[in-house]
Amino acid sequence: MNPGLFRLAVVGSRSAYGRLAGIAGGVAVGVCLVLLLWGGANGLSARDDRGAWLRETGRPAVAVPAVSGDPSASGPATPVPMTAGTVLMRTNPVEIFRDQLINRRDFAALSPSTVKIPGIPAPPEPGHYYASPALQRLIESTPRDQLGDRFGQFAGTIDDSALPGPDSLVVITGATEAELRLSGRASLVSDFTTNPYGGSAAAYNTVLLIGAAAVFFPVLLLISIVTGLGAAQRRERFATLRLIGASPQTVSSIAAVETAVPSLIGAVFGVVLAAALRPAAAQIPVNGTRVFEADLATGPVAASAVVAIVVLASALVAGYRTSRAGIGPLGVTRAVHEKTPTMWRAVPLMAGLAAMITAVVIIRVLEVHLPWLESPLLIGGFVLILAGIVVIGPWLTQLVSRTGLRRARSAAAVIAASRIHKTPVATFRSVSGLVIAVFVVSVFAGASSVIQTTEAPAARPGLLQPTSLHATVGTGHTPARVLEAAHRANELPGIRSATIGYGPAALHERDAGPEIFLRAADAPALGFENIPESETVAVDASLLHFWTTQPLALSPAPARALEGLVPVVMVLGTDGTPEAMDRARTAMNSSGVTAIPATSPMDNKLQSSTRLIQGLAVLAYLGMFLAVAIAGLSLAVATASAVLDRKRVLGLMRLMGMPVSVLRRIITREAAVPLLTVLFLSVGLGFLVAWLMVTGIDDSYRVAWPTPDYFIALGLSLLLALAAVTATFGLIRGNTAMAATRFE
Amino acid sequence: MSTNDTAAPILSARGLHHSFGQTEALRGIDLDVHAGEVLAVMGPSGSGKSTLLHCLAGVLVPDGGSVTYRPAGRSAVETSALGEPERARLRLSDFGFVFQFGQLLPELTAADNVSIPLLLAGTRRPEALRRSRDLLERLGLDGLGAKLPGELSGGQAQRVAVARALVTSPAVLFADEPTGSLDSLASENVLTLMLELVREAGTTVVMITHDARTAAYADREVIVRDGAIGAGYRVSA
Amino acid sequence: MNNSLTLLGLLSRGPSYGYDLKHSYDRYFGAGKALAFGQVYSTLARMVRDELIRALGEETGGGPDRKKYEITVAGQDRVRAWLFTPDVPSESLQSELFAKTVIALLLDDDAERLLDVQRSEHMARMRELTRLKRDAGLLQVLMCDHGLFHIEADLRWIDLTGARLTQLKKELQSA
Repeated sequence: MNPGLFRLAVVGSRSAYGRLAGIAGGVAVGVCLVLLLWGGANGLSARDDRGAWLRETGRPAVAVPAVSGDPSASGPATPVPMTAGTVLMRTNPVEIFRDQLINRRDFAALSPSTVKIPGIPAPPEPGHYYASPALQRLIESTPRDQLGDRFGQFAGTIDDSALPGPDSLVVITGATEAELRLSGRASLVSDFTTNPYGGSAAAYNTVLLIGAAAVFFPVLLLISIVTGLGAAQRRERFATLRLIGASPQTVSSIAAVETAVPSLIGAVFGVVLAAALRPAAAQIPVNGTRVFEADLATGPVAASAVVAIVVLASALVAGYRTSRAGIGPLGVTRAVHEKTPTMWRAVPLMAGLAAMITAVVIIRVLEVHLPWLESPLLIGGFVLILAGIVVIGPWLTQLVSRTGLRRARSAAAVIAASRIHKTPVATFRSVSGLVIAVFVVSVFAGASSVIQTTEAPAARPGLLQPTSLHATVGTGHTPARVLEAAHRANELPGIRSATIGYGPAALHERDAGPEIFLRAADAPALGFENIPESETVAVDASLLHFWTTQPLALSPAPARALEGLVPVVMVLGTDGTPEAMDRARTAMNSSGVTAIPATSPMDNKLQSSTRLIQGLAVLAYLGMFLAVAIAGLSLAVATASAVLDRKRVLGLMRLMGMPVSVLRRIITREAAVPLLTVLFLSVGLGFLVAWLMVTGIDDSYRVAWPTPDYFIALGLSLLLALAAVTATFGLIRGNTAMAATRFE
Repeated sequence: MSTNDTAAPILSARGLHHSFGQTEALRGIDLDVHAGEVLAVMGPSGSGKSTLLHCLAGVLVPDGGSVTYRPAGRSAVETSALGEPERARLRLSDFGFVFQFGQLLPELTAADNVSIPLLLAGTRRPEALRRSRDLLERLGLDGLGAKLPGELSGGQAQRVAVARALVTSPAVLFADEPTGSLDSLASENVLTLMLELVREAGTTVVMITHDARTAAYADREVIVRDGAIGAGYRVSA
Repeated sequence: MNNSLTLLGLLSRGPSYGYDLKHSYDRYFGAGKALAFGQVYSTLARMVRDELIRALGEETGGGPDRKKYEITVAGQDRVRAWLFTPDVPSESLQSELFAKTVIALLLDDDAERLLDVQRSEHMARMRELTRLKRDAGLLQVLMCDHGLFHIEADLRWIDLTGARLTQLKKELQSA
């Protein structure tokens, strides 16, 4: 084709520059987001890979031979000896400082040992520790009696290659074999797993793919909307080209090139923008820790691929749209008639729902495990539902506008309802981004409601106080030694009481009794009321379980009941300040008499929030924010182009005396009707899909009422819509002024 | 002819000056439009006809000079001294407009298009639609009220525009090349029907045209040349 | 086209011989239809009789072509009256209007006003015809339309000529 003709087409007139800038800008934002999200997904996966070793659970450190002839009985446990190729490892599930969970692994190894512990040169000596840089900084900036005393002597830092992120709190301490075996919680490890998700890898990947689709879809919509900018003016120009002899193919290819050029410029700019924003993006904490900046890099291949795909797709779509518009040499003199949407538009949505429901039925009702079928059904179903909402929108919008048109009373209502009724596809396109965003937000809100943090228990008499810490006492410690440790702890600042509970044997032993015995004088410090009139009292051992929520009552125990019993539990009451809590924890854990790490009823809250899937919740809120922001941007762009495309006729209406306020009301209605029509559908579908996903992944999860965050996000979306529409009001005044009505 | 030299003119312009940037569109125009007359404004392209019409109709405020509108039974207003909201209200209530083309909202039916000015003025929709259909019938468009502008011929669409301009019974009808994109027969149809209605109602008409046969429907014509009323202007006998 | 008034107009530029008058006429208006000498002399004689012009002193061996003529004050009035009296619009009008325009330009008179006056006359006639059409039968409407289209053609010529007056004047003066 003639290059001159191309130049004419691309930079035809000065007014074209605004449109080209709009396309380039929109594509730049889109490409930048795609690359950052891609980088984010890569980063999270790299992060999970590096942290995989922390999931290693090892093999039992004791062998329990079955007793022949009685399958229910077992013989005495015998320790499995350690070799040069194995180490003993103990995991502390509640190594907590303030409100942060520290990943603590205690190791005992033979010297020399061939086991390679990730991130450190050799297993630490007993009493020494390796810490991640972030943890080491924390240790150094905190009084030792609150944190440092728990670990011993600093031996070095753990290498980044074994840390999920720069903020990861990981500690590897050395311990003696005897100490670990005595605790009863050590396992034998020969090497470390590299699978970050264990058995739920498929489910995790499914969720990740669905999340990616949910976030990318609004980006795609944005790109699709900006490339359609100024369609009406363009049609006129193409008609002129057709008149002077250009073939439909020529016009289509001009449209393609005309879109491809600004898309390319925008995409390249987007790549640069993404690179520039990477350090800022790395500062966003996901699941409690930031991401290494290098993890966010996508590499030149990925960037080129994104640029190529975006440019190619936008060019093809522009060419296709132009050829579909059927521009003749006489132009589109009559209003372009959209095909009336029919019920067929419900098909993709129904198909998507059917796919997801099928997947859930397979998993839950038939209880067969077919990962090769379930994941594609869930992911495919989700994508179909996303597309289905965009497809069904115009049909629903038209149904509503038909009623609206009949009932319309004011000029603004008649004009807006007529336009929506005649061009439901175009008007719905303006709000499609926002509708999708609301859907995505609802899905995320529904899905993350299952992983909501458990509320911290309130202080109630009859239960362990939230400000207290307790730990069971190990086997073989004399009451005197335990008592001494309790006294030492009790003298620390902020610690109010130290109570010891007694029983027939250490609680993890077979001979442990169902009750814990206390001195009645100690009971008030544990928060008990209605204390029986006796010297010794007893309480059920379930007092120590975090799932116990009903207050327990004390029962009187025979006097002198404590004789012959051993200490089984130590409870420290604190004043509730974080410093005192950490001091108590450090004191107990380094006392040498406790069998388990000190825990507080508050810890459960932290632990539950560290589930694997929780990482997705943060991603989900990030996704929500992106989706809503993009949707607002798309709505502003689409509303603006709806004004620009009609500036002549709207200008003439103003000239006839129609007040600007009526024009504003028209524009507002044209955005509000399709938005509100599909909004409720979006919300409902969002929660349905979330429920399907969640039940499809794990039947122990439940979808709960969404958090206030959700309503904030929803309100924010609507505010954004309002802002987007309001932003175009200035445009209305400017573009419908006298100049717009001149005959050119 | 209904021109009445003793009565004050319904619209009078004095010393109108207006520029668009460096271009002087109007350079000192005096013009009186009498109640009930049909005035043709002629002149070559770019002579300032449309600018004159826009100043007379209170669409534009001239850079210099004044425009006075004297509605029957109300006190005179200097429209060139009003703010845009007041002028918009005046245009809506007292003036009607017909343009060359592209003035109908493409998504609205003919009847809805005609009813918009009534709705803007606060008329209830059923009443507005009834009056719109009546007027369309008088313009020979019976049964076409439910059609969209795209489904009408050029002449029919222009008659819908005339109906919309007249549906509020304006005192002055401003027409800018109302038949500019029609063939002879269609434009004759539009003009005949339009003038029949305005003469019956006593509506004053200011009509821009460069076409002598269209101007021949007027009671008199003025010629605008280079932003001034042509030397040949005189009230014809 | 009124030949005698056109000749009178040419003569009002200044005294001239009959021979020169004929050639001037032929140059401006005689394309393909030159004026005969006899017609020139008989016209001049008639105008002398009507005291619109007068002959200046006869030269030796004088035939009519050796006579020099000069316009009288009455003649000048006659020319101006002719120029600024619009003609009744008719199909044969154009050549007359053409002559008037050229004469007015040659005399450095207001040719634009002449055209405007004629345009007003044309518009008045068109309005009259348009009014006639209002309650007329189709046959009469068609007749009126015939007249309207012809008058419109004149008007278009007037408009076009009006737009080209400056250029035309320059051309006539340099000729």
